Amino acid sequence: MKKYISIATVFLTIGMAGCKKDYLSQEVNPNFPSVTTPQYTLAGAEASSATILPLDYPEYGEWGGIWCFSGSYTPVSQFQEFAVSITVAPSPNDAWNDLYSNLTNYNNLQVSSASVPADANFEAIAMIMKAFDFEQLVDNYNNVPYTQAFQPSTILFPAYDSGQFIYNDLVKQLDAAIALISKSGATATNPGTSDVIYGGNMANWQIFANTLKLRLAIRQSNLSTNAAQADLASTASIGYIGVSTEADCQPGYTDALGKQNPFYSVYGFDQNGNPAGGYETQRSNIVASNLMKSLNDPRDSAYYKTVSGAINALQLGNPQNASNAISSPLGPGLLKSSSQPEPIFSSYESLFLQAEAAARGWIPGSAAAFYNAAITASFNAVNAQGSVATYLAQAGVAYPVAGTLDQQVKAIITQKYISLNSLFNLEAYNEFRRTGYPVLPQNPASQDPAAVSQTLPLRIPYPLSELNTNTVNLNAQGNINIFTDKIFWAK
Amino acid sequence: MKKKLLLIIGLSLAVLFPAFAQNHTVTGTVTAKDDGLPVPGVSVKIKGTNTGVQTGDNGKYTISVPANSVLVFSYIGFTTQSITVGSNPVLNVVLENVSQQLGEVVVTTALGVKHSEKELGYSTAEVTAKQVTATAATNVANGLTGKVAGLAVYELDNSVDPNIAIVLRGNRSLEGNNNALIVLDGVPMPGALLSSINPNDIADISILKGAGAAAIYGSEASNGVVAITTKRGSATNKPTITYENSVQAEKVAFYPKLQTSFGTYGGEGNYINGVTGFTEYVPYENQEYGPAYNGQLVQLGPPLDSANGRKDIVPYKAYPVSPIDAFFKTGITEQNDISYSQGDAKNSIFVSAQNAYRTTVVPNDKNIRNAFSVRGHHTDGIFSVDYSVEYSKTTISTYIGNNNPLNTQYGITLPGSYVTTAGANDLYSSILQLPAFYNIKAFEDPNSDLGNASNYPDAYAINPYWIVDEARRDIQRDVLLGQIKLAVDPTKWLNVSYHLSDNFGIDQERYTKAEVDFTPYSISDPFGAGSNPAVFKSGKSPGSVYDVYQYGDGTNNNPGFARIQGDALVDLHPNLLKNFKTDLLVGNSIYQLYDKYQITGSSQLLVNDFYNINTIGGQPVAQEADYVVRNISFFGDLNINYKGFLNLEGTYRNEQDSRLSKAERSFNYPSAKISFVPTDIISSLKNSDVLTYAKFYASLSQVGNINIGPYEIYNTYGITAGFPYGSLGGLTAGTTNFSPTLKPEITTETEVGTELAFFKNRFDFNFSYYNSYDRNQTVPISTTIATGYSTSILNIGETQSQGYEFQVTGQVFTTAASKVGWTLGGNLSINNSKVISLLPGVSQLSLGGLDYAVVGQPFPLLKGTDFIRDPAGQAVVGATGYPQTASALTTFGRTTPKYDLGVTSTWSYKFVSLSAVFEYRGGDVVYNAIGNSLAFTGASYYSASNGRQRFIYPNSVIQTGPNTYVPNTSLSVQDGNYGFWQTSQFQSTNSPWVTSGAFWKLREVNLTFNLDKFIKQTKYMKGLSVALTGRNLFIWTPKENTYTDPEFSDTLPTSSARGFSDINELPGTRVFGGSVKVTF
Repeated sequence: MKKYISIATVFLTIGMAGCKKDYLSQEVNPNFPSVTTPQYTLAGAEASSATILPLDYPEYGEWGGIWCFSGSYTPVSQFQEFAVSITVAPSPNDAWNDLYSNLTNYNNLQVSSASVPADANFEAIAMIMKAFDFEQLVDNYNNVPYTQAFQPSTILFPAYDSGQFIYNDLVKQLDAAIALISKSGATATNPGTSDVIYGGNMANWQIFANTLKLRLAIRQSNLSTNAAQADLASTASIGYIGVSTEADCQPGYTDALGKQNPFYSVYGFDQNGNPAGGYETQRSNIVASNLMKSLNDPRDSAYYKTVSGAINALQLGNPQNASNAISSPLGPGLLKSSSQPEPIFSSYESLFLQAEAAARGWIPGSAAAFYNAAITASFNAVNAQGSVATYLAQAGVAYPVAGTLDQQVKAIITQKYISLNSLFNLEAYNEFRRTGYPVLPQNPASQDPAAVSQTLPLRIPYPLSELNTNTVNLNAQGNINIFTDKIFWAK
Repeated sequence: MKKKLLLIIGLSLAVLFPAFAQNHTVTGTVTAKDDGLPVPGVSVKIKGTNTGVQTGDNGKYTISVPANSVLVFSYIGFTTQSITVGSNPVLNVVLENVSQQLGEVVVTTALGVKHSEKELGYSTAEVTAKQVTATAATNVANGLTGKVAGLAVYELDNSVDPNIAIVLRGNRSLEGNNNALIVLDGVPMPGALLSSINPNDIADISILKGAGAAAIYGSEASNGVVAITTKRGSATNKPTITYENSVQAEKVAFYPKLQTSFGTYGGEGNYINGVTGFTEYVPYENQEYGPAYNGQLVQLGPPLDSANGRKDIVPYKAYPVSPIDAFFKTGITEQNDISYSQGDAKNSIFVSAQNAYRTTVVPNDKNIRNAFSVRGHHTDGIFSVDYSVEYSKTTISTYIGNNNPLNTQYGITLPGSYVTTAGANDLYSSILQLPAFYNIKAFEDPNSDLGNASNYPDAYAINPYWIVDEARRDIQRDVLLGQIKLAVDPTKWLNVSYHLSDNFGIDQERYTKAEVDFTPYSISDPFGAGSNPAVFKSGKSPGSVYDVYQYGDGTNNNPGFARIQGDALVDLHPNLLKNFKTDLLVGNSIYQLYDKYQITGSSQLLVNDFYNINTIGGQPVAQEADYVVRNISFFGDLNINYKGFLNLEGTYRNEQDSRLSKAERSFNYPSAKISFVPTDIISSLKNSDVLTYAKFYASLSQVGNINIGPYEIYNTYGITAGFPYGSLGGLTAGTTNFSPTLKPEITTETEVGTELAFFKNRFDFNFSYYNSYDRNQTVPISTTIATGYSTSILNIGETQSQGYEFQVTGQVFTTAASKVGWTLGGNLSINNSKVISLLPGVSQLSLGGLDYAVVGQPFPLLKGTDFIRDPAGQAVVGATGYPQTASALTTFGRTTPKYDLGVTSTWSYKFVSLSAVFEYRGGDVVYNAIGNSLAFTGASYYSASNGRQRFIYPNSVIQTGPNTYVPNTSLSVQDGNYGFWQTSQFQSTNSPWVTSGAFWKLREVNLTFNLDKFIKQTKYMKGLSVALTGRNLFIWTPKENTYTDPEFSDTLPTSSARGFSDINELPGTRVFGGSVKVTF
């Protein structure tokens, strides 16, 4: 008997031989790190921010009369018919995902830096960029999750906050970030090269925050109560983005696969010099092209490449649109090089904002001067081949100093629309929805006979992913009608 | 093995009786019909007496009998034969196997322990080697389909290296793996490795269907077990050599119905006739919405090479051979298999070698497998050793399709080259979109003036011959499965063993795509088509090379694990009480899984046709990962049998697994089973002529299941896209929120069933009912990205899987009674799955694609867009006459079959036998993305069904007021051509492309001629048989499915989602051929 027990014991012992105490501890992932640093997170998040604006809003370009589907390819007919719905989503729906993903990283950075005084600068940049991203979300979708966002262990179904509430809170966040930089910016760790927008220049970040506040204020110009406008004075001394403080992202774009400037890689050419898909499918639109033509604007040939010496633009939804061989693609002013910096917030937009604020009497200064400076900055940004002075002297262009506020706003937004071409299609569309300007020589709506509307959508539907993952809160927003439901600031 | 076991029992019981003086002596050999081998231990009795002998090792017997007496030959597993002794002193007998003799079958259960079927308190099924290899399938899994109730084999595609999923009793896990565990000689192995096993090496397969059968195998077996036992040397002491050759042809059998009436036009504004307003022929289009074929000569594509080049003039009418028939060839599979076996009571050895060479219907694709195995056994006193080594080398070459593992497993998209992973450029899609007037053979040489990339006329597709010639994936798999088992039987009531196994493989894959240089004329895009060449303004699309090297199970799964396992077992079976047979098994099992892979590659090769990562422009792509899983378990299994008719079994297992965090790592699960055999105890039943055998059983079991991979409990960061820029690094949070508090999934299953045999086993009936609940589902739930993560892994919800299984076998005619034998069998399973709960407040979960889990509904459930419909369900058309997409999603149905019916039939006449297997599956739906693609191109028959004229959308209504609808009798679609089929919401809506997934298939046909009796005089040959075989010869689908084999699905075998067929698969095929088997 004993013999048998010992045989059994020997076998079971052999069986157990591998069992060291920590044999089962395999919790450390050898393939992906579970930790990061503020520097890595900041660099990654800023570079990601620089891909959203240029890549996520092609339909706003098409709807806004800036871009047009190529005549050589079958268009996504629903987009040119405005037949978008929660199940037929336009590309800007990618922005929902991209912005919240981007925000997750800024939020992580803000949370982790908040407990480390030396990381105050990272915290401040995170707060400012969060405001930048949330403003885009509101401008696309109006009400979105805000206060209940980013709490995955407790809130799987975040409720939506109103766009107005979020706008008001963003102003407070921007003020707090400006104050934090003033208080701790000099003593805390400088982000240095990991800040791929301003290289760690914290004063510039204060200027960025202040300009963003100005944008929030201008955007609410139609409203009777405007908390952002009321708050402008408190940080007025900081000033606004100008040509020397352009918010350009430049992590080190280079002519290699995946490392090119994001706009260039999608709407320009690949590392072998071959045209990218976006270059083939997005052509010039007759609406913006004719507007520039009517103003003798030399920027048209910077935005759109000439074919046989002329810009041959297409019309949205026109079944007879010309093929690629004879239609104009995007031009040399936009596609300079694969290593060009990616603008996040341009000086010309800032100057137009200041022009309008001055015209409205919200900030001191000459609206006409801001206006002229803005157009000049825009000419320079796209290497326009022509004299700014000649251009500005034209009757249709010169700032209507003696005009009514509405005439002044009309002039500002018309010029702003031309300046924002292609690189800031979202902002052009936002301003069109806010002011109804520019008044275009051609109806920007679709020529597609199957178009479901002759007016442009006022917003895009929520993404289908929200219906699947956050149903109750989405349904609380009611049935969205894209032709009647406005963003809260819209005209 | 069976014969041997019973021989021992027989010998110990043998009683020799004295012979009568006036008797004469009869001698002879008893052989088995199926393999022609002698059968030792056969009882040879004189009818009406107790006098008898047993056959010896060589199957020979000698008996002294009175004149005119009748000899009864009986042996378990064979039909008893009674033969009158004549004057001939030699009486050779051939015994026929009984296919299903319930209760006597020995079943291989957990850990390779063999049990009499009578003792089992759960449902099992046995599949014999003969059944598996009946039609010479190269993959064992294909040999199982249609043969066992509750076992569904899904052949997900038809490639040279197909994905196959084996599922028992439907889906339990919402998003985890629902595949059965494959166990080879007692050791779990990856299911994907079935393709590396030589089917001819298999002795038998036990299917342990439910959680009850698997409770002792551990968490991996919660979806049931397919336990494969391989062949060993027989104990006949005679060397036996078997050689088998089979050759089969494979031909395309099922593909979408295509139109042959209309040529090319795709919405081009400048190809509309200004006078008539009709569309004109467009020479470069891939869309077929142009004018009707009229036989006139037209120019195909631009002139060759330059504006002044030769023009390719073809008649504008359907080419007599469809592009599909012309492109796909006949595939050939040839298998050569040789095995040697020898053994005696103490030693045995089995050696086999196989070469399986397969080409498929796709030109240039081939799969060559060389498999070798050695298995042996040695007993020395109380010690014994069993060992086996199986090595296989598989060499596969195939084209790079959309579903290449580089993309699906490792997330690397072959970028920026002539063939992209964009759907339009996959092989099948490139063929399907060819207009009917193309003669595809004209482009067969991709370097010829017609076939080269610059001149290929279809502006938006790639020459399919270029894909099969120039975009290749070459695979080499080396797989080694080795095990050794040491056992000690020191006494009658104790058996101790240690079983060590090591299974690993190396998978090496190389993906190459050739450089393409375009002519300046082609990149100038003379028609302004925005053509493929127009994208390459630099004139060059550089070549690509990607190398994948993986140490793991030898497959391309990420991860696919190598496995080292040690099992220590102590088996105590003392006879403590009279009438009680007790058996206690206690053991410990430890395994480690390991996988490591590295990938390097570039799509910027510098030198044409030179594939080496050292010679590239730009930076190489590199990726690596390794994974370790460790698991320790202890278990016990107590089996108590009372007088042979009542059996109780209880099991208990504790498992600790490294994938879970320390606090949740250890979990336990029990099971209890009972079986009762009334025919063994109730006296009125004991000798019943009607009811031969009856067994009733019930079991209750619980099994844990870990449905996460290693390291999936803590959040991680990954490199931000584009980084590093120089020395600047960037990290981005992952999009999945992991949780260290995850627990294992728990499946609780109740099962009851019965097995009945009537009329001396002529008719068998099996029934089982199971009901299982799966709690703590480990689900990567899609969360709104506003939570910060698009996915959170949670333990949520509960599912139910419940079903009925029936299996009947009847010998309609037995050979004994008539010359014609006919055995008819049927198996049916009905599965109902239901989602009981998800997260509180969540009634629906996306499972990927169009598959969803919805509370109260079966899963996976296909949901998608449908048209706006009136309350009666008729489509509401808008002012254009087109139906419109509704914004809410519609439920179409479940994507896994609810009903699975197999019908098997075997006829035999003398030496000829014919067997067939039919299978029906139904109750499910399939989304045919292929239909949508074909409507886009206008290649489908459906798209031409109205002659491209305006028509009234069938069964449509017009809305005239709120909730008021009138039948549409006058409003035709605005455009019955391009406008309706391509640009209206008809094409983009899901519902037109959803069809029933039902099918009938003639799975297998085998016609065997057993020529043993014709070669009796041959000294060296023991057996010879010749067979004709066929697989998937016919498929019948509902009329609405004109697209493809509904069994196909563009989902991974390990995914729970099904029911999504698209252009990434190939057309369905049928296989037919013949085989010769010689035994020496």
